Amino acid sequence: MLSYNFNWSIIWTAPYGEWMLQGIWTTIRLGLISWFIALFLGIIIGTFRVTPFRPLRVFGTVYTEIFRDIPLLVQLFFWYFAAPSILPKSIEMWLYRGLPNSEFWIVVVGLSIYTSSRIAEHIRAGMQAIPDDQYNAALSTGFTHFQTYRYIIIPFAVRLVIPPLTAECLTVFKNTALAMTVGVLETTFMSQQIEAYTFHGIEATTAASIVYMVITLIVVLLMGLVEKRLAVPGLIMRKGGQ
Amino acid sequence: MEGFDWNVITANLSFLMQGLATTFKLAVVSITGGLLLGILVGMARLSSIKAIYYPATAFVNIMRSLPLILVIFWFYFLVPVIFGRPMGDFFSACVAFVIFEAAYFAEIVRAGIQSISTGQMQAAYSTGFTYGYTMRYIIIPQALRNMVPSLLTQSVVVFQDTSLAFVIGLKEFLRSASIVDAREMRSLELYTFVGAVYFIICFMMSKMSKRLEIQRKLV
Amino acid sequence: MIEIKNVSKWFGTFQVLDQIDETIKQGQVVVICGPSGSGKSTILKCLNGLESFQEGDIIVDGQSLKDPTTNLFKLRQKMGMVFQRFELYPHLKVIENITIAPIKVKKVPSKDAAERAQELLARVGIPEQADKYPGNLSGGQQQRVAIARALAMDPEIMLFDEPTSALDPEMIKEVLEVMIDLAKSGMTMVVVTHEMGFAREVADEIIFMDEGRIIERGTDKTFFKNPRTERARDFLNKILF
Repeated sequence: MLSYNFNWSIIWTAPYGEWMLQGIWTTIRLGLISWFIALFLGIIIGTFRVTPFRPLRVFGTVYTEIFRDIPLLVQLFFWYFAAPSILPKSIEMWLYRGLPNSEFWIVVVGLSIYTSSRIAEHIRAGMQAIPDDQYNAALSTGFTHFQTYRYIIIPFAVRLVIPPLTAECLTVFKNTALAMTVGVLETTFMSQQIEAYTFHGIEATTAASIVYMVITLIVVLLMGLVEKRLAVPGLIMRKGGQ
Repeated sequence: MEGFDWNVITANLSFLMQGLATTFKLAVVSITGGLLLGILVGMARLSSIKAIYYPATAFVNIMRSLPLILVIFWFYFLVPVIFGRPMGDFFSACVAFVIFEAAYFAEIVRAGIQSISTGQMQAAYSTGFTYGYTMRYIIIPQALRNMVPSLLTQSVVVFQDTSLAFVIGLKEFLRSASIVDAREMRSLELYTFVGAVYFIICFMMSKMSKRLEIQRKLV
Repeated sequence: MIEIKNVSKWFGTFQVLDQIDETIKQGQVVVICGPSGSGKSTILKCLNGLESFQEGDIIVDGQSLKDPTTNLFKLRQKMGMVFQRFELYPHLKVIENITIAPIKVKKVPSKDAAERAQELLARVGIPEQADKYPGNLSGGQQQRVAIARALAMDPEIMLFDEPTSALDPEMIKEVLEVMIDLAKSGMTMVVVTHEMGFAREVADEIIFMDEGRIIERGTDKTFFKNPRTERARDFLNKILF
């Protein structure tokens, strides 16, 4: 066994403890912002995929397929390294030099788009699980297509897809860790910084692991509360004894 | 915007393809190992013996709450300590991936077995079958058929996840591209190429899995 | 043949069976009816040990179900069961569904098992379906295969759990005809059903259950014409249109 001196105190001694706290805060911000943007985009794209309007359907399908079949890390690299060179020189310069924390916002773009394609897929599945006659019933009372989606279909679908959405929310927070590869100072990045300075990789990585486990726990509890508040009796079937 | 120059890809094609080969190797090892370990853990999750059920459940829940990238770092540090000597990037990556993905395969296996209705077990029992026979002839054959689509989807996920081995320096496909990029500064062409290759491979794999699922439903 | 002695069962704090007491003699056809949730399916599943119970005892052919030395698996070979949702094995052909238990459990040689299976399929009226998969059969046909599958083990008692409830109306008759035929051939049967026509034709005794208790017993002559209890009257009013 390679000799290894454990030193757990490095996790909270200054300045490492402060690094971790800063990293945790960045993780939380990155996760929350990306999650809400992704939710908004995902609901729209998911709806596109089930409208009777063909161009929107095609757009939605292409969007989903592209961002689901390419690894997130590759997408982040694309947004960070490659995309700015397509933009006009002036914007590219602002992005790299003018905008503070540009890495953070570029990751927000990449992570939101990636996650939105996955949410779109869940929304599509939820909408297709709604019986056709729901649409017909709404239309027959005079609703327009848009109103039907807004007041009847989307609320129904959102409740159906809360379990998969919970999983996606967890995935978003886990995926924030990838931001470290482009220099965002989040939890994983910080844990590896601590390792670089102290050579105590196992302790640092364990500390980061605990952070993610706590985040997971909190998200699961919160989404459980959301599910309870929105629950429609008899709709979400629970596995029970017969 | 500067002109598109695809030469950078053709000039470095063999190097990039080597990276892709490493990606495939890592994926195959991870899927196979992850599936085998996952079957064991999945069945453990259904066990009524507490000493088997609780560790398996803890394992699955912990692994599924951690980012893969962190687990990769974890094993990068842990593997040399366990084995007493440095074992190389590829080996550490394999260990990390097999253990990580096993947690996900385990859930697929567990769900597959649980998806068979209790009525089937009762019907088998009512003709005098024991638990062992029931599992062997009635439950598991049906469960395997149900699991195939999810197993294939998860395999595509594993294939994409291999790109994360980037962070420990493993020369898989993405890292190969970034090495070329550092030298040639042609990010746009290179990362578009990487994205396109991944897209084609994963798109075809998921189309195949959809076709398999349709065929299965016709039986 | 079957003695049910004061059986009570709880799911947590909810009492599902309340002191069920009944004797079923060989060759008898007993029909159990009652509203949903009355416990009728539960008591049926207690008879072959698919459900457990906390109080009382059930004695089948002299063997007590509460006795830990009783081999439930062997006991089940003597009892055949037919389920509401047929529960045919979808991955096996019709004939394999029928032969698998005799082959694996009783070690009957496959040729003999297959011959017997064909006889049983002929008996339930669908000999030509042997090589098809359950998914290709209609509900009525599937249920008849399920009856054949249960008969393949040569049981002494046949248990039916709402065998026609999941069938389209035009297929109920074909299944009931098989069941009536079975009853007339002398099989001991316990049938949970709402099909009162079946009860009138072959039932020796009709048991009405509600909220886990046996409320009334009668024969087909007494029960339908003169139900003694208010609840039985209420129930019959609702189901006999």
